[in-house]
Amino acid sequence: MNGHSESAASFEAEALPHLDTLYRVALRYAGEHARAEDLVQDTMLKAYRAWDTYRRGTNARAWLLTILRNTFINEYRKRSREPTPVDFDAVDPMAIYHAVENSDPEGEFFSQIIDDRVWAAIDGLPEEFREVVVLSDAEELPYGEIAELLGIPIGTVKSRLFRGRRLLQQALYQHAVEMGYVRPREEA
Amino acid sequence: MSREMDCGQAVEMLHDFLRRELTPELAQQVKQHLEDCRPCLGHARFEESYLAMLEAKVKAAGCPDEVRSRILAVLRETTQDEGG
Repeated sequence: MNGHSESAASFEAEALPHLDTLYRVALRYAGEHARAEDLVQDTMLKAYRAWDTYRRGTNARAWLLTILRNTFINEYRKRSREPTPVDFDAVDPMAIYHAVENSDPEGEFFSQIIDDRVWAAIDGLPEEFREVVVLSDAEELPYGEIAELLGIPIGTVKSRLFRGRRLLQQALYQHAVEMGYVRPREEA
Repeated sequence: MSREMDCGQAVEMLHDFLRRELTPELAQQVKQHLEDCRPCLGHARFEESYLAMLEAKVKAAGCPDEVRSRILAVLRETTQDEGG
């Protein structure tokens, strides 16, 4: 086996298993499938060509997500909407647990919501929140890894997550009420 | 600082607790609070099922097979280390 194919083989072994994660995250950034595919393909091509600069056995997922994110910001976002600046302090939604603690304390209504509506609710979040919620709660990246990827302090990751999760819960709850999956709290 | 944690503090840290992102000392304080406070324990169970639901629904989708095939085909036509 020559050097080239050995390198290609290690790329396939270490990078390709993260394709599902890259595609899901790309879809959240890009907003639709065709652009997500382009974004993932560009990311994989850059990663493949730069594979010699990746230190084998370190965190390939984080390395690939960094390329994906930079590619999106530098080459894709210009062609789409700029993120709306969010006044983080103004966003302090309530936890919805107290609205359902009597009617559905285990939150079973969540499992009735179809996957596409969950995605739609995630896509409805402001980008700053959507990004951390997807990386943390969907892809299970540790907070420290998200902080490094986004270049922000870990405390900022935590506060964005706190608000993003509550906004997402509220959107899902409102949908569940509309669909009759859960009864709204009766005002006394 | 007191080791007693009130409901507001505990609820604020529930997700970080469930994701095992608290320092051992804070995690212990949240754990203790949940053992002593039934309403907060109920809230914690609710948030736990929320996080499990979210992860399960999101992970149900991945890279579509035809996209995977197209990307693999492009990679196999590409030579590494050419930079362009």
